[in-house]
This record gives sequence, structure tokens and C-alpha cells, in this order.
Amino acid sequence: MIETRTLKIINGKTCVMSPEIEQFLSGMKKTIEDVVMPNLSDRFAQEQASIVAASLGFLGLIQDKTFHYELLENQEYKRVLTDINELLSNTFSAPAAIIETTTKVTDHFDTDKVDDPTYLRPYKFIRGSNEAMKELLCEFIQQQAEMPTELRTAFEALMKPFFKSIELRERSWVKALGFDPEAEQQADIADLLYKDGLLNIGKR
Amino acid sequence: MREYYTPTLKNRAQPNDDWIHSIRQKYPTERTLDEVLTKKLRNRTHTAEHKTDFSDLENQLVSFLKKATGQDDLVLKNLHRLSGGASKEQFTFDLTWNQGNSIRSSEKLILRMDPTESIVETHRLRESQMLNAMWGEVPVPKVHWTDPVGKELGHPFLIAGFLEGTVQPEGGDKASGLGMFFEPSLRLDLKEQFVQHLAKIHTIDWRKKDLTAYESPRENHVEGNEWSLGWWERVWQEDAVEAHPIVENAALWLRENMPTVEKPVIVHGDYRSGNFMYTEEHQINAVLDWELSHIGDFHEDLSYTTCQILGTPLEDGSVLTSGLLSKDEFLDKYQHYSGNTVDPKRLFYFDVFSYYKVAVISVATSSRAAYGRKTHLDAMMNLLSGFGYTGISALQRLLDQGS
Repeated sequence: MIETRTLKIINGKTCVMSPEIEQFLSGMKKTIEDVVMPNLSDRFAQEQASIVAASLGFLGLIQDKTFHYELLENQEYKRVLTDINELLSNTFSAPAAIIETTTKVTDHFDTDKVDDPTYLRPYKFIRGSNEAMKELLCEFIQQQAEMPTELRTAFEALMKPFFKSIELRERSWVKALGFDPEAEQQADIADLLYKDGLLNIGKR
Repeated sequence: MREYYTPTLKNRAQPNDDWIHSIRQKYPTERTLDEVLTKKLRNRTHTAEHKTDFSDLENQLVSFLKKATGQDDLVLKNLHRLSGGASKEQFTFDLTWNQGNSIRSSEKLILRMDPTESIVETHRLRESQMLNAMWGEVPVPKVHWTDPVGKELGHPFLIAGFLEGTVQPEGGDKASGLGMFFEPSLRLDLKEQFVQHLAKIHTIDWRKKDLTAYESPRENHVEGNEWSLGWWERVWQEDAVEAHPIVENAALWLRENMPTVEKPVIVHGDYRSGNFMYTEEHQINAVLDWELSHIGDFHEDLSYTTCQILGTPLEDGSVLTSGLLSKDEFLDKYQHYSGNTVDPKRLFYFDVFSYYKVAVISVATSSRAAYGRKTHLDAMMNLLSGFGYTGISALQRLLDQGS
């Protein structure tokens, strides 16, 4: 029997990447559904097994997109924090606490530079950087109450499309979990992530 | 296990005394809620994974019941774990004992016990006091024993009478009763009762009830709403496994647009399909899950109950409140039965509040509990994030309208 394998070449050596993760997951799901569940008599155990099967199905759909999801978020948060810092550096009326947050943003960009090839970084580095940027953005959001009206209006205008992009992305990501009454109206996550076969970044 | 990406995430995973103190100061809540939330944080690093093995439970339960009743000859049989539900471990058992009238009899009872960390951290004394307050007012199970501390079985619990009935109709299986489907004839029989019971809950004079575990907010004052928001804001700050700009913005909006509570009432806090039971004659014979109850604004229940994400979508695109009736019909009937007038502005405020609460529970706490492997439902807790993120999307769309 001829097998189709995904091959990866590292330092001239061929590494077998088979079975693919998707195959592992779908195999586990099938076993749970076809072998384990029909033989469970306890209702609680049946319920939990069906949840495990549903989780495996979900993981099968999204596992190959996780890295790119984080990479896209990394670009989006860098972009919005840069815009906010620019906005605040152009105003003299921002309170000291807000200026302090802009300094933290600048410091963070020393660790994960805006123009660095972040896609070469490990997943955990990108995830950690994204979390740090989300916390910084949340700090700005909390500080809206202290912003003079004009500054707040400008800040809100920056945030409105950003919030929209978050909710569209997240809702697409979880639509296969089955809780969304409007699931059919949500974009496929692959369509949001990729455009013309490439990661959909740099859309300023 | 996940790394601590930031100092905030480390504090949440390994809270120290200083951090716990700062959270308590920043987000004041009711005394008994502060008690359970603080206990949760103090236990977070001291408790191991939650054990789902309950082989010791029967012996512990018998020992407790013998002590509580003073009856060494009581007999406990048929201890079984219940499926369904999302927050507490639930077991049923048959108990034969003397219920105080010198006649030995058997009764099927239900044990509701906290897991090590729950999707909602609540106080068993509050729940039992509220169930006692509701006894004779709306159909509820009768509480027999409560241990809010957890010294008897290792976890806080309450034991109540088990009522026979249906929570999920055949073919209506949904996680925790969300989006449940009722056949049209069943809707017709249940919808009136569903609204009447809520109207009744909101018109009970709670000041005449023994509700010492609850704080009493003042009339025409914001404090009832401040406590409600403070509760969920605090839970978000304690449990979130990632920061979320939309949730943070919603909290600010809720604080800046908070209305007063004109006339505080008992708020059930989780009034929906999945939390009531009905008989074969289609009579609602129990209103369940009072753990989120508090004293506050009746609009809070109305918004939560009619929240689209908790409703049942039909093929024509409409959504039925708790699978029973349209939002408009629900509100019309509610006003008729309660005598309360619905204020659209307050209703909108609590629409935002309801989605905020959904986000806190389903994105922050469910994920946190699974992260620490602290429940009997870790797999389900992860899955529920799908419900939470859908809720955050709806929250953002509402905030867009509000601005």
C-alpha cells in the first residue's frame, strides 16, 4: 500500500510528519463515537464522552490555523497600539497615567519589534506577546474615563473598527462549537485568515 | 500546562495575599459572595485537581446524615451521579429515616455539591436561604441540610428533596438547557406559568424573609446594581485567562451608564429553560438553580431571560425566549402579571449586562476551572468558551448600538 506522507526536511535530513495531527484527532473521535460511547451505560459518562468527541472534531478543524491566528492578532495589536501611541504623542492633554501606559507599549516593542519577522518566532513567544499587548490595550480602555473629551472621541474612533474585527474573528473561530444561533451567517475562519493564499495581514 | 505569559496571569493562577487584598478592595461585592470568591482564590494553589471518583462519598454521606439526624438506623441506597448541569456535582439517593413525625419513611433526595472550582462560585447558604424563602411562593425543592463550609463531605453542599419531572424534553438535549426546543403544544401549556412564576418572584416582600446571607440594597439608589456589576467584574479579574478589550470596554460602559434600582426585588439570576421542571400534566413543579439569586433590579432577570443567545432559534429566523414564547409576548405577559412597568432604557442596560455576565462565566471562569482541572466537567468547560465568545460578539454589537 502506498502511503502519502507529509515530509519535512531539516538540515538535509528527511523527517516524517505522519500521521498528520488531523488524522490523529479524527481517529480518536471515531473511536470515541463508534466504540466507546455505544458501550457506556452511565448517562454522565455518555454525556462527557460526547463532549470529548465534539472537542476532538473542533480541534480537527482549527489545529492547522492556530499559529496563523496568533500571528494575525500579533500584527493587529501592534498596529492598533502604534496608532494609539501616535495619537497620544500628538496630544498634550493626556494625563500622566496614560503617558505611562504609552511608555509600557514602547518598552514592549523592544521585546517584540513592530517590523520584526515575528513569523519566525515560536508559538509561545507570539502568544505571550499578544497577551501582553491585550493587557496594555485594556489599560488604555480603562483610562478612557480620564481622557479629555476630544482625546476620548479620537480613541473611540480608533477602537470601533478594531472591536469589530475582534468579534468577527472570534465568532468565526468558535462557530463550529455549535453555540452560535447565527453560525451560517459567520465567515469561515480560513476566509478571514487568508487572502489570495496568504495570511491576511498588513491591511492598513 | 500553559506558561504564565504576564505577571497578571501569574497572579491569577497563583494569587498571593497582597493580590487578593487588592482585588477585594477594588471590586466590592456582597459579604457572602466576597467570602466564597476569596476562599476560591486562597484555595487555588492549595488544592489539587478535582477528583471525579466518588467511591468514598456514600460512607461520608451516611456519617454526616447520622450525625445530622441523630439516627443511627437510617438507610441510604441508590447513590447515583446525575448528568446535565454545568456548575455543581449532583447526586441522587434514597434515604429511609424518621422525619420528625415518628414515622419511618423513604424519600429520594438530591445532593448539590461544589466542585473544587466551579463555573460559578456561589454560596450554599445563600442558595438554601433563598429556597426556603421561596417555599410556598413558587414551586421549589425542600431543603433538608446545608453545609456552606465543606467540612462534612470535603466540599460545600446542600441536600434537598428530589422532585420528579422533566427538565429537557425528548430530543431537546442542549448543554445546560441552553436553546432548548419545546413542541408547540408544550409551549402553549408552559409559557403562561413560566412568566407567572417570575412575576411572583419579583413581587415577594423579601424584607419579610430570612435572607441574612444577602445584602439589602436601598431603593432609588445605584448600590444594588453596583454590587451586581462588582460581582462579575471581580470574577473577570480573578479568572480570565486572557485580557479582552471588548469585555473591558463593556465593564466601563456598564459603570458609566448604571441606572438606579427604583424598587429592589428578588432576582433569580438564571431564569431560563433548563432551570425549571414540569410534570407529565405540563405543570411547572420546580424552579431550580437559585445560586445566582440576589436582591436587585427586576430588569436584570427580564434581560437575561430574553437574551437571544439563551433562546431557541426557529427556522423562520425568530428566537423564542427559553424556547417558549417571543420576547415581546414575554414582556407583555410579565407586565400584566407583575404590575411592573418595563423601562426600555433599563432593559437595554441589562441586555448589555447579561452578555457581559455570559462572557465572564463562559470565557473567564469556565476556562479558568478547566485550566486548573478543578471540576468534574473540564472538557465541557473548554467547550463552553464557544458560547462565551459568541456572547462577546453579541455584546459588542449591542455596545455599538448603545454608542
